[in-house]
Amino acid sequence: MNVLDLFNLTLPSATDIESTVTSENDIFASISPRDVFIFFVGVIVAYIIGLAISHHIRVRMSHRLKKDQLDILTLIIRVALIVIAIGISLPGLLDLSVTIILISLVAVIAVIGISSQKVISNLVAGIALLYESPFATGDFISTGGVSGTVVSVRLFSVRIRTVDGIYVHIPNDQIYSTTVSNNHVNVALRFVYSVGIRYQDDVNRAEEIIGRILEDYTFVLKNPEPSVFVSDITSDSVVLTIRVWFPSNWKLTRDDVSLSTAILPRIKEELEIAGIEMPYAQRVVWFANQPHETIPDETDK
Amino acid sequence: MDFSYADADIQIQLTDNKKLVNYERDCAGKKESRYLSRTFSAILLHPVEPVNLPEALTHYLEISFPPVLISPGVEQIVYLKFPVEIGVFLESEGKTDPLDVFSLAPVKFSLYGSPSSGVITRWYKSDLYTDIPVTDPRREGVMRLQIKNSGTETMTVSRAVFDSSSMCIFYGSRVAMTAAMEILSPLIAHTTFSDTAPADCPNRAIDLYLARGFSITNGKGFFMVAGTI
Repeated sequence: MNVLDLFNLTLPSATDIESTVTSENDIFASISPRDVFIFFVGVIVAYIIGLAISHHIRVRMSHRLKKDQLDILTLIIRVALIVIAIGISLPGLLDLSVTIILISLVAVIAVIGISSQKVISNLVAGIALLYESPFATGDFISTGGVSGTVVSVRLFSVRIRTVDGIYVHIPNDQIYSTTVSNNHVNVALRFVYSVGIRYQDDVNRAEEIIGRILEDYTFVLKNPEPSVFVSDITSDSVVLTIRVWFPSNWKLTRDDVSLSTAILPRIKEELEIAGIEMPYAQRVVWFANQPHETIPDETDK
Repeated sequence: MDFSYADADIQIQLTDNKKLVNYERDCAGKKESRYLSRTFSAILLHPVEPVNLPEALTHYLEISFPPVLISPGVEQIVYLKFPVEIGVFLESEGKTDPLDVFSLAPVKFSLYGSPSSGVITRWYKSDLYTDIPVTDPRREGVMRLQIKNSGTETMTVSRAVFDSSSMCIFYGSRVAMTAAMEILSPLIAHTTFSDTAPADCPNRAIDLYLARGFSITNGKGFFMVAGTI
């Protein structure tokens, strides 16, 4: 059968199929060593061609595609080549008609599809993730309650390393159907800190000290400029909010903890040197039968 | 193979113990020490692209300077200071391998453009000079910047962003670079470097970018698409 015959292909009736299958019960008996040899040579040649094409694609497209995308693209090409090789050589090996092969293929795909819907949905989600590229290897993401650095993006799943060093394996369909926050899509990230000072402390002085610390800090971006302002006056303290921008590819922007340990201790130390302190929670308690003159004043507290 | 250099801020020492060479560096209190195999024939110190410290977060250098107004069609030459980073290289069999980078210049980063489409830059503040300023070549170099306004409006320029992958640094009596900025429209300017050595700085410094094995894929300068102010 040549290619043109495929265009005129008509499905045979059930009785035709039955007679064909019956007449081909002895198909395995007709396999010759030459057919087996041709089959395996075909598969091996397809494998080698797949390797060569993969290498060529990696060399030519490594600067355009990310590593994950290259891995998946080359895997798809290699698998497709092997499937094509099997598809071409199998009819000759088993002496089957194309009709029987096609029907068998459809049946196999239907069985696989029904029995492994989850796997297929992961595969489809993996291809969608590959196309949309919401994140790549090395990005810090948060999804479904898990935050960490993406270690690998595969056809069926994504592996994430959390800040605690734990590897988390997330199926692709789960990621695709949930919100994903990527810390590294934008080149800069803004972090917000809050520092409480006492009522009697000089707010302007505190803002000036914090501003100077941020100015000295190498990784606090010059533009957009950091801002320090009074954001709240609570029952115990005057709350200063600090907004700063950092490069998102800086290693400490991987998680909030590292940035806090880098900046907040220095702010605390410098404020304390200037006599500005973080307040304790305070309550003034009045007793109903206590004369007012015996109430301790501020210094006695 | 013993070698030592020392001034008030920088101390470099190579101590040969016949099997390994001990490299020690102290730059304003920042120390580095490592052992080297005795396979190199020379140690070279060159000014390198100032975008490597404290870690290579970007390959763009942004220089901020007092605003200057440039009328349409006008070419203005100004001089700016830029930070110097010193690279230590090992030379062996025609190969030059980077060993260390240090600097006395302060480091600050900035964002040019928006967080979603801009770039992180190594930021440096300079005064504006009409003649070559005096500098400490261990800390600062001098950039000759030719600003040309090819647009139709008078433009204010107060910063310039450069791609370090096409930087050409020269040294001699000072550390120098020659750059150009062409203002194409109110929002777009194009910056490039010249590979012609200034008369008093005939020596071309080693490109750290190339020594690390990177190839220059974009040697056409940088398009400043977020304005010049």
